[in-house]
Amino acid sequence: MNSVALITGGGNGIGRAVAHRLAAAGMTVVIADYDHAAAQQVRQEIIDSGGNADALSINVSVAREVKALVTDIAQRLGRVDVLANIAGGSAYTKRIEELTWAQWKEVMDANLKGTFLMCREVAPIMQRQKSGRIINTASNYGVTGSALRTPYAAAKAGIITFTKSLALELAPDNVLANTVAPGPTDTPRVMEKESAESRQQRWWPQIPLGRTGLPRDLAEMYFFLTTPESAAMTGQTFHVNGGVVMP
Amino acid sequence: MRLKNKVAVVTGGAQGIGRAVALGMGRESAKVVVADLQAEKAQSVASQIQTLGAEASAVEVDVADETSVKRMAKSAFDRFGRVDILVNVAGIYFPKASVVDLSEEDWDSTIDINVGSNFLCCREFVPSMRAQKSGRIISLASGIGHYGMRQFAHYAASKAAVMGFVKALAREVGPDGITVNAICPGSANTSMPRQHRSEEEVLARLRSTPLPRILEPEDIAGPILFLASDAAAYITGQTYNINCGSYMF
Repeated sequence: MNSVALITGGGNGIGRAVAHRLAAAGMTVVIADYDHAAAQQVRQEIIDSGGNADALSINVSVAREVKALVTDIAQRLGRVDVLANIAGGSAYTKRIEELTWAQWKEVMDANLKGTFLMCREVAPIMQRQKSGRIINTASNYGVTGSALRTPYAAAKAGIITFTKSLALELAPDNVLANTVAPGPTDTPRVMEKESAESRQQRWWPQIPLGRTGLPRDLAEMYFFLTTPESAAMTGQTFHVNGGVVMP
Repeated sequence: MRLKNKVAVVTGGAQGIGRAVALGMGRESAKVVVADLQAEKAQSVASQIQTLGAEASAVEVDVADETSVKRMAKSAFDRFGRVDILVNVAGIYFPKASVVDLSEEDWDSTIDINVGSNFLCCREFVPSMRAQKSGRIISLASGIGHYGMRQFAHYAASKAAVMGFVKALAREVGPDGITVNAICPGSANTSMPRQHRSEEEVLARLRSTPLPRILEPEDIAGPILFLASDAAAYITGQTYNINCGSYMF
C-alpha cells in the first residue's frame, strides 16, 4: 500500500515542490490548497509524471472545512502517513500601529490556527496507525523576528513551540512532529512582489552560501523528515536557509 | 548510492557513532577513510566497508596532535586524491569531575580532543574543498553543550564550543560552496555511557525518552548521511538534535 501524504499549500511554491518530491518517492499525494486551480495543476503534473495525486480545496483556518477534508481523505484512502502543513504566509508588511485587529487575526489564523486545526484532525488517525510524520512550517523570522511582520513572526514562533508540545503528546504512539524553518526562498508569490535583481542585491551578501533558497532545497528536508533515517528526531526545528540564520 | 565517487573522512570511526557513520558512508558508495586512535579497530571497520563493496582505508590518528592530523590528511589524499566529506566524531566524555576538582590537564585534554580536533582537522581539509568549490563538514556536538550537566562542565564547554566553531566556519567557507553543520546526539546505545553507569541505569536512561525507541548509533548516522548528500546543499551553520525527543532546542 502506498503511503499517503497530505500537503496543505501544495499548489504553489514550497508546497508544490514538496508534493512533487514526495510523489517521486512513491507516495500518494493529496494537495490541499485554497487556490484550487493551482492544486489541480500540480495534481496533473504529478499524474503526468507517473505519480499518484489528488487535489482538494481548503481554507485551513476554518475548522469545519478541515474536518470535512480529513474525514474525506480517511474514508477514501484509509490512512494518512505524512501531514505537511505548508499553507500560510505573510500578507502584510505594516507597522504595528497600522495593523488592524482583522489583519492580525488573518495572519495568525492562516499560519498558526491552520496548523493547529490540521494537526487536531490528522493526529488521531496517525495515533491509531501507531506511526505518522507531521511536518509544520515556520520561518527564520519565527526565531529572529522581523520588523513590519509582527503577526507573521509571532505565528511562526508559535508554530515552533506548538510543534514541540505536540511532539511530546504524540511520541508514545510513534508519531513524530517537526518544524521546517525556511529562510528567504524564491517562491512565485515572493517573486511577484520583488524582482530577482532586487532580491539578489538585498539578500545574497547576507547569506553564507551566496544565494536565496529554492523550493526544491526545502523539499529535500521535508522528504528527509518522512524517511526512516529521521526516525529518532521529533520536536525539532530544521532551518534550511543557506546560513542566513544560525540559531 | 547517494555518495558515489565522494571521499569521506570519519574521525572516531572505529566504534560507536563514528563506526555507524563510516559504515553508512560505505553503504552509500563513498570511499571512506576510517581515522581513529584505535588503529586495529579502525582497520576492522575499513574491512567491513570493503565487504560492502566500497573502498576504504584505516589510518591511526590522535586528533589533538597537529603532526598526527597532518599525517592522517596526507594518508587520505595519497590514497584517494581528494576529500569531499569530513565528519568529526572523535571525542572524549571522561573524566567526570566537579569544576573545583577538575585538573588543568583534564580540562585541556577534553577541550583539545573535542573541539581542538575540529580546528586541526578542518584546517587540513578546507583548502582542497575550497579549490573544489564544494565540501561537507559535519561535527558531533552534544545536547549537553546546550543544557549543561553537573560534573561535566569541561565536556559541556567543549561541545558548546563545537557549535560556535561550526557556525563561524560555516560563514567563512560558505562562499566556496562548503557547508558546515553540527549534530547533537542524545544519549545513545554505545559504550560511552556504560563507562560510568550500570547496564540497568543505561537502559533505564535510554528508555526514558518521549519516543518509544532506544537511540542507536545508526539513528545518528542517518541524518549525517543526509547532511553529507547533495540533498542538503542549502543547509549550513545549523545544529540538529537527534535524541528521540528528549530535548528540543
